[in-house]
Amino acid sequence: MKLRDLFLLVVANLNRMRGRVVMTMMGVVIGTAAIVILISLSSGLQASTVDNFSQFGSLNQITVFSGSRFGGDSTAEGLTPSAINDLEDIDGVVAVTPYEQFSGQSVLKYNRLEGFGSIYGIDPLVLPDMNFELSEGSATLGAGAVIIGSGVGSGFSEASDSDQGQGGGPTGGPRMMFGPGAQASDTESTTEALDLYGKTIQLELTRMSEDGQENRTVRLRVAGVLASSGGNEDYNIYMSMKDLDSLLAWSRQERPNWVQDGYSQVMVIAEQDADVTLAVTEEITNRGYFTMSTTSIVESLNSVYAIIEAVLGGVASIALLVAAIGIANTMVMSVLERTREIGLMKAIGARNRDVMAVFLAEASAIGVIGGVIGVIVGLVLAQIIGVVASAVVGTESGTTLVVTPLWLPVFAIVFSLVIGLIAGIYPAFRAVQLDPVRALRSE
Amino acid sequence: MALIEIRGLRRYYVMGDTVVRALDGVNLTIEQGEFLCLMGPSGSGKSTLLNMLGGLDKPTDGSIVVAGHRLSELDENGLALYRQHEVGFVFQSYNLIPTFTAAQNVEFPLVFTGVSPEERRHRAGNLLTELGLGDRLHHHPTEMSGGQQQRVAVARSLINQPHILLGDEPTGNLDSKTGAEILNLFVRLNRTGQTLIIVTHDPRVAEYGTRTIHMLDGRIVEDVENAQTNPDPELSPTEESLS
Ligand SMILES: Nc1ncnc2c1ncn2[C@@H]1O[C@H](COP(=O)(O)OP(=O)(O)OP(=O)(O)O)[C@@H](O)[C@H]1O
Ligand SMILES: [Mg+2]
Repeated sequence: MKLRDLFLLVVANLNRMRGRVVMTMMGVVIGTAAIVILISLSSGLQASTVDNFSQFGSLNQITVFSGSRFGGDSTAEGLTPSAINDLEDIDGVVAVTPYEQFSGQSVLKYNRLEGFGSIYGIDPLVLPDMNFELSEGSATLGAGAVIIGSGVGSGFSEASDSDQGQGGGPTGGPRMMFGPGAQASDTESTTEALDLYGKTIQLELTRMSEDGQENRTVRLRVAGVLASSGGNEDYNIYMSMKDLDSLLAWSRQERPNWVQDGYSQVMVIAEQDADVTLAVTEEITNRGYFTMSTTSIVESLNSVYAIIEAVLGGVASIALLVAAIGIANTMVMSVLERTREIGLMKAIGARNRDVMAVFLAEASAIGVIGGVIGVIVGLVLAQIIGVVASAVVGTESGTTLVVTPLWLPVFAIVFSLVIGLIAGIYPAFRAVQLDPVRALRSE
Repeated sequence: MALIEIRGLRRYYVMGDTVVRALDGVNLTIEQGEFLCLMGPSGSGKSTLLNMLGGLDKPTDGSIVVAGHRLSELDENGLALYRQHEVGFVFQSYNLIPTFTAAQNVEFPLVFTGVSPEERRHRAGNLLTELGLGDRLHHHPTEMSGGQQQRVAVARSLINQPHILLGDEPTGNLDSKTGAEILNLFVRLNRTGQTLIIVTHDPRVAEYGTRTIHMLDGRIVEDVENAQTNPDPELSPTEESLS
C-alpha cells in the first residue's frame, strides 16, 4: 500500500467519523496546549530571574575567600601572592587580583556631606580584565585615584551628629542593599545624588591608639564612575592595592604582611564562558577555598528551574496520556464499527501490515493534528497569559514572563504524534487479528 | 492440471464438547471456465467451502490447490497475496464502502497491489461502463439500487482479473428481476472464459451454471454437469427484463 493511498484512506476515514475524532482530538489539544503554556511560563520565570541575578555581577568573576575567613578548617594555604600565582595558572583563568576590603573605621566626606562606600583594593594591572562599565571617566587607578560605583554619589547626606568616631557612621562593612530605594529609607538622604566624577572626596579614617582616638583625612580623586549594576557593587569604591596598603598601615599601625597572612579575598576573572567559569570555580573549590560566583548561582537556579519545568511538563503530559486513552477508545470503537469493512479489506487482498498501517495512521493523525492545534492554542494562550501577568505583576516593559523555547513546539507535536501512535497499537492489533470470515458475517 | 484440486478437505469447528464438521472430506476438481453452482441446505458447508477456495479460511485437514497455489501451505501474508491476485469475492450484502463512490469502491482492491492511481481509475471506469454503470461512476452506494450496488461489487471482484470469481448468494438480497440481471452478467462473464463458483439457494441460478454441486453435512452428495451448458441469454428472462 502506497503512502499516498494510505494518506487518502486515512483522511476519508477520519472525515467519516469526524464528530468523534474532533472530540477525541480535544484531549490532545488540551494536553499539548498545557505543556506549551506551563513550560513557556516556567521558562519565562527562569529567564527573568536569571536575568535579574546576572545583573549582580559579571558572570565570569569568581570571588575567592581564604578558608580562615569561615572558621579556618580549610586545608588550603592562605591567599598569598604566590597562591594568586597558582590560581592564575588554572586553565581558563584570565587574571587574578587581590580584592581586599578596607576593614578600618572610616567616613566619606564631601564638603559638609557624609557618605559611605565599601572600599576595595585591587591590582590596577587587572583593571582591563574586570570589564568595568563606566558611565563617566576611565578605568584607571593611580595614586589617590579611585573608581566608584554609581550608588556612592547618591548616598551623601547632612551629617546628623558630629560624633563620627562612634562607629555608627558607615564603615567598610558591606550593607545589603538593593537599589537606591532601599537605601533611601535607611539613611535620611536629604540631598540629590551627587555627580562626583572628577571631584575630590575625603576619606576620614579613625583609629584608637594609646593616645586615644586619632583621625586622619585622605583625599581621593574620583577618576571614574561605574554604570549601575543594580547590585551591592554600586556602593563599592575601588582603589589600587598600594593605596589600600597605606590606609591599612595607618589604621592598624603596622604594614599588612600579605606574603605571610594572605589576602582575605581575591577575585578570579575567568574566560567569558559559563562552562569555563564553572570549571574554574570547581577547581578553586577543590583546592580548599571558598568561592562565590554569579555563574554558579545562576547554574543552581537553572537546575531548580529544570526540575520545575520537568514537574510541570510531567503534569501536562498526564493530560496527554489521558488523551491517549481517549484515542485508543475511539479507535477500538472504530474497529468494532468497521468490522465488516476490515473483513472486506482482507478479502480483497489487504495484508495484515496494510490493516495495521491504516489504524496506526488514523490514531497518529488524531494525535498529530491535535498536537498542532494544541501548540497553536498553547502559544496564543501563553502570550495572553504573559501580557495579563505582567500587567498584574507590573514588570518593567521589556521583560517577558513567557518564553517559549524553540524546541518546545517541535517536541509537543512529536510527543502527540508518538502518543497517537502508541494509542493506536492496541486497536490496530485488534483489527489485524479479526478473522475475515467472521468479520464479513458480522452485522 | 485442473484449475482447482480439492482432496480430503475437512474443516472442523470445536465448540466445547461438540465438534462441528462444516466440511467433512470434500473431493472436488474444477476446470478453468466452469460456472459452478453450490447448493444445499443451510449449514451444509457451502460458505465454508467457498471461503476455503478464497483463502479466507484454513483447512483442518486435506489439501486445496488453486492455480498452482497450495493454500494450506501459505501463511497469512501469502494468503493475502493470493486473494489479491487470484480471486474476486461477491457477497450477498454487497459490502461496499459507503463513503467511497462506485469507482473508488471498484478500484479499492488495487490500492493494496500498488497499481498507480491513474491506471486504477482507468480500469475501474472501463469495467463499470462495461457493466452498464458508466453514468454512475461518482455515485455513492446509498444513491444506487441494490442491483446497481451488486454490479459495482461484481466490478470490484473483477478489477484484479482473478482466476476465479466467488459469490456467496450474490442474488440473495435482490428481487427476482435484479437477481436475473446479475445472473445474466455472470453468464456473460462465463462466456468470456471466466471461472465462477456461486453459492445459491435459487434453482434458477443453477439452470444457467455449467455444473451444480449439492452438499449435505459437509459432504458433496450430488455433482451434475448441466446438459445445457450455455443457455442462450437472448431467450433468458434476464435479457427480456433488461430490454
Ligand atoms: N465460526 C464458526 N464456528 C462454529 N461453527 C461454525 C462456524 N462457521 C460455520 N460454522 C458451522 O459450520 C457449518 C457450515 O456452515 P456454513 O456457513 O458453511 O453453512 P452454509 O452452507 O453456508 O449455510 P447457509 O446456507 O445458511 O449460509 C454450520 O453448521 C455452521 O454452524
Ligand atoms: Mg452460507
